[in-house]
Amino acid sequence: MLIKVTSVSFSGLTTIKIDVEVNIADKGLPAFDLVGLPNKAVAESRERVRTALVNSGITFPMRRITVNLAPGDVPKNGAFYDLPIAVGILSGIEGFEIPVDSLFFGELSLDGSLRHTKGALLAALFARENNFTSIFVPQQSANEASVVQGINVYPVENINQISMHINSHIEIFPTVYQLQESLKSDPADFDMSEVMGQEQAKRALEIAAAGGHNVLMIGSPGSGKTMLARALPGIMPMLTEEESLEVTRIYSSAGNIPPGGSLIVKRPFRSPHHIISQAGLVGGGTHPQPGEISLAHRGILFLDEFNEFPRSVIEALRQPIEDGKLTISRSLERVTYPSRFILIAAANPCPCGFLNDETKECICSKREILRYRKKLSGPILDRIDLHVDVPVVDIKKLAGGMSDSKEKETSLQVRKRITAARRIQEKRYRNELIHTNSEMKNRQIKEYITMSTASRNMLIEAADTFQLSARSYLKVIKLAQTIADLDHGSNINEMHIAEALQYRPRLPE
Amino acid sequence: MNQIDIKSTEYPYLLKQIKDPPETLYYRGEWNPEIFKQTLSVVGSRKMTRYGEAITKEIVTDTASAGITIVSGFMYGIDAQAHEGALNASGHTIAVMPCGIDRIHPEYQMELYKKIEKDKGLILSEYPGETPPALWTYPRRNRIIAGLSPVLLVIEAGLKSGALITARIAQKYNKKIFAVPGPLTSSVSEGTSLLIKEGASIFTKSDDLLSEFGIGITGKTKNKKQASNLNPSQRKIMELLSRQPMGIDEIIRILNKPTSKVGADLTFLSLKKMISLHDGKYSISRNRSAGNRIC
Repeated sequence: MLIKVTSVSFSGLTTIKIDVEVNIADKGLPAFDLVGLPNKAVAESRERVRTALVNSGITFPMRRITVNLAPGDVPKNGAFYDLPIAVGILSGIEGFEIPVDSLFFGELSLDGSLRHTKGALLAALFARENNFTSIFVPQQSANEASVVQGINVYPVENINQISMHINSHIEIFPTVYQLQESLKSDPADFDMSEVMGQEQAKRALEIAAAGGHNVLMIGSPGSGKTMLARALPGIMPMLTEEESLEVTRIYSSAGNIPPGGSLIVKRPFRSPHHIISQAGLVGGGTHPQPGEISLAHRGILFLDEFNEFPRSVIEALRQPIEDGKLTISRSLERVTYPSRFILIAAANPCPCGFLNDETKECICSKREILRYRKKLSGPILDRIDLHVDVPVVDIKKLAGGMSDSKEKETSLQVRKRITAARRIQEKRYRNELIHTNSEMKNRQIKEYITMSTASRNMLIEAADTFQLSARSYLKVIKLAQTIADLDHGSNINEMHIAEALQYRPRLPE
Repeated sequence: MNQIDIKSTEYPYLLKQIKDPPETLYYRGEWNPEIFKQTLSVVGSRKMTRYGEAITKEIVTDTASAGITIVSGFMYGIDAQAHEGALNASGHTIAVMPCGIDRIHPEYQMELYKKIEKDKGLILSEYPGETPPALWTYPRRNRIIAGLSPVLLVIEAGLKSGALITARIAQKYNKKIFAVPGPLTSSVSEGTSLLIKEGASIFTKSDDLLSEFGIGITGKTKNKKQASNLNPSQRKIMELLSRQPMGIDEIIRILNKPTSKVGADLTFLSLKKMISLHDGKYSISRNRSAGNRIC
């Protein structure tokens, strides 16, 4: 007796269809074999399925059972073949028909219940694209899968329940997508209005959020670099539906969606520690998993103590920053994960951290400072548009100063400006594959950017005075365009160029 | 071999007068006795402050462009600034090394080393070849710096510093010593303050030095016309900065203007070279209006 159940297999973010063929032979010694390039997690499925069936009060057939995962040459991994295999065997025992056009997906617990399984969203997306009508997933993953409209997402609690559903004794109702309330709350840990002083750094972050530019903050310990970075998500525009789905796919694939979780609507904020390995940052493994940079897709990657990161790890950032995606090649698989993020790097000005600090004296020699800064130099700095000093704030000066007379802007107010600037950019690049000014290549700069002769002359003069490299020159133009967009989308004028020049890279003196 | 023996007629006259002049001087660059005619020795702290940097630039520019050779010790900080300033003013400079003549120390100042050689300056040492520097070679080197010039200028020195040691040697040699006053709160002003207390001449303007060399008042033209084409907020910034250096956040706070506007103004002023940024703070450019105390 041969039963066919349909499931899926993942390679990165791509999904392919897998036929789970279950054969229960009348002849031969009792056995339970699993073939079709299973890895350890898949092979152990046999024990889980057998025990789960027995514990659900079902007599496991003492016959020769062979399970084949076809196509046979694609390596299978993951624990989610438990449900299709169990359903196949059940169908053999109880003689019910497998529902047509349905996908099965989920990991079994030994008591017969189903556990939250990673990848439910990817499976559901695949189901819709390939004209399946329904998908059976663990109940705790149903919220995640139900993001996909147009198919029935059946939440399965346990083996008995699905068997009764298929036998039409009871009915499982498809999950209806519900946005979780908690996700609508404030996206950032800090509000911009809580940050004391740091006017220039705040403005730099506003420009970064508006144009998708990368930022390097240099400042002494305790000057507020981390606080500024953590306030950034609050001024970023909300994720669009499309972006949100992109992010959720990556998180689903990495198993980063909690049980019962659903669409990710907050911009990701990732801040890996500097002891992270290269694979941890860019992704890796035999079956490549997304790394921090992909988990930061459409969000913020905050690298504190930037020059404490190993050189190799920093250099690995180059391609993803340039292309917005990263391909990880391993002998078995080659997968591509998107990675379009804003890099916020923070570093101390010198090894002891107190260079230019008014409260504490720096004890570093010039040679030490030079060596320290050298670690920062190179191609990666070339990819950072905004360089900004974050000095230690003198609390007394702030309290006594005029800061109180000026109403501090809240993150919400800043976000409004940024959202408007983003809209202008989207309109400008409607015929391009890019969304923000920072993504422009030379051709696009030529095509889309207009500036007055006076502005151009000023820029040329500045390039000479400040010794800007060719790349820095282009960066200033991109920044000036973002500043102009924040200024209601006018053409670039001298004021915009002048402000953009404030954020040029500064060489150590 | 590039060396000058003490018996040579080209051996620097002033150096020959000290108690223990070096028997042999090794050099790199082109030997030209003219370079020793009018010399000013400049010493100072390795831990140069922004103030020290600005003052060094100003003094060295004024004296070197008046034809005075700047002698210093090629260490980073004030020394390097002095050499650089002299070269930038198209003047002459002599670097006296504490190590063998063929060793660049500190090695990351290689560019400066080559520039001194190329621009008709001199690298001097009493040690041949690749002799490494040692603790005792620094004070030995300092006696050459003190001995080469009739005048020693001390810009920023701590209480325990090579600069102060050089000053002590110069006192023994009966040289004229000028000390630059600095803020009393700074640790690198303690040495210079001490020297002034003990009777060293206090430096207040470049003319003090130039008259020592018999050079008259330079009569620099004042640079006022540029102030006229500034907009009101730029003028306000100049006014603020003339009192003390300030970071951009502080300026924004005091002027109570948007960050974008203040940032743009600061760039305009920087482009006009009216202000410059050091260590995160803007200050009025001094080398533009060298000789004028306040812009």
